[in-house]
Amino acid sequence: MLASVRSELTRLRQPRLLVTWFGLMALFAMMVNTIMVTFVTGGGSLPPGAPGVAFPSLAEMESPSGLMAGLSAASNLFGIVTLSFWAVATATDYSSGLIRLLVAAQPRRWRLLAGKVVALLVVTAAATTVAAVVNVLAVMPAAGAAGISTAAWGTDPVAVVAGAWTNLLLALSVWGVLGLVIAVLARSAAVAIAIGVGYVLVVESLVKLVGSAPSDWLLGTTLTAVAHGGTASVAYGTALALALGYVTLGLVIAGLVFVRRDVTD
Amino acid sequence: MSIVSAIELTRRFGPITALDRLTVELPPAGVIGLVGPNGSGKSTLIRILLGLIRPTGGDASVLGSSVRAAQQYASRVGALVESPAFIPGLSARANLVSLARLRRLSLDRVDAVIRQVGLAGRDREPVRRFSLGMKQRLGIAAALLSNPELLILDEPTNGLDPAGIVEIRELLRDLGRNGRTVIVSSHQLSEIEAVCDHLVVIRFGELIFSGPMTEIMKRTREHIDIAAEQPEDNERLRAALAASDWSVTAIDVGLRVAAGAARAGDLNRAATAAGITLSRLLVAQDNLEEIFLEMTGRVDGELANGRGAANGKVA
Repeated sequence: MLASVRSELTRLRQPRLLVTWFGLMALFAMMVNTIMVTFVTGGGSLPPGAPGVAFPSLAEMESPSGLMAGLSAASNLFGIVTLSFWAVATATDYSSGLIRLLVAAQPRRWRLLAGKVVALLVVTAAATTVAAVVNVLAVMPAAGAAGISTAAWGTDPVAVVAGAWTNLLLALSVWGVLGLVIAVLARSAAVAIAIGVGYVLVVESLVKLVGSAPSDWLLGTTLTAVAHGGTASVAYGTALALALGYVTLGLVIAGLVFVRRDVTD
Repeated sequence: MSIVSAIELTRRFGPITALDRLTVELPPAGVIGLVGPNGSGKSTLIRILLGLIRPTGGDASVLGSSVRAAQQYASRVGALVESPAFIPGLSARANLVSLARLRRLSLDRVDAVIRQVGLAGRDREPVRRFSLGMKQRLGIAAALLSNPELLILDEPTNGLDPAGIVEIRELLRDLGRNGRTVIVSSHQLSEIEAVCDHLVVIRFGELIFSGPMTEIMKRTREHIDIAAEQPEDNERLRAALAASDWSVTAIDVGLRVAAGAARAGDLNRAATAAGITLSRLLVAQDNLEEIFLEMTGRVDGELANGRGAANGKVA
């Protein structure tokens, strides 16, 4: 499988793809921090169930974890970016016809799929690092300018940064797998992105608005909980277990389809 | 031992039968032409041999292993299937490196195939800047990467200029002479005739012919192409010759008469007797294209019936 991973990493080393991916992660990290401190200090709040972001309170911002609050606040936005690039990287194999060469060279198709997942995880880890670095660089001047106390941020910052990075990476990995699964099924990046984004921004938000329906197990809610290290409604362990379930189910479906389906593209 | 063997090989796509109990054996070494009208099942056959799709009936083997276990021979087979497919944002070299890594090959092979197909000096450019001909060369380079025993090339000269076609023709001949087997699927029958040692003709998923090129070329017959000095006399000439039991068909530049060189004088006299002076009288041999059209019919396979058309979609 190592050969598949190395091969996929070579294909992912496309300057435009990486610059756009990392650039969007950096842009969102910067934007979220700027907007977040304005909301927190201005007493603003998003309506419940609002898609994409979940801002902390002023007290949370001034706690040690406030240093990395931007990452978890915008985890769903980062998730959509990640889903999109996993979908693009997967669907391009079909749209370019490259899948024919790949499957002819490696008929054990599950190795190709596993190699792609591992390689995309590596790049996702790099993208998460970019977001984390930009977050740290952006939140300090923004908090200072907004008058947020950062005294507590010096308390074990390595653990805080590492924890936030790990939680975001775990959440983004699930988002990415979702993009890959839909792209394998649809063989189209556009369809995969539309379904993924549409689900988070429309379907899940609608389900949440229907107050009677239990929504704690929904993908977006689960992954928000993972990114936050647990929330009031979903414990961290529960969120991780649910996320693992989503990943397993998605990979099994994608694997079965990928291994059994004719390559006619 | 055959390098490729198919027994009752069948592939259906819903109600469409793309390959219909195809039984064929291909000899090792040399260049083998795979020809057939559009929608005849060529691409389906190639995809089955490469493990891209599975047969719905019968079986086939490549290098002694069943196509149902393509991993047994994948490292010994190289292929260019339909149009060459690469990541446009990556350089030609990076695309080849990714395939070399997938096949666990030394990166020296990348340099070797780049030189072999004449892409040295352009290999660090993004593929998106490549012309169709250069992409075709890159596709052939990818197929050669593993130094395969069996090479399967679908329309390898597509998009190449005349010099490029000659170059690829020489490359295919060299590959065939050096102990490899090269299966070439092409619509350019002059290329097939010039390069191949063995020919396979299929139509509507069924085998029409499989044998040495020399055998099929034995079917060639002589014909005589003639043209009246005044073009408007060609129709009168055709009628006069037909009335004298000559087999005549109209062609672009006059008439084609099914007759050998021995009857050229008689033909000339018949034209003179009809009061027509010939400005052209050329004795020639049928080529592969004419034999092919005779075997498969003169209608585009995809247009011939729904079966062929659907094959084209799935192939």
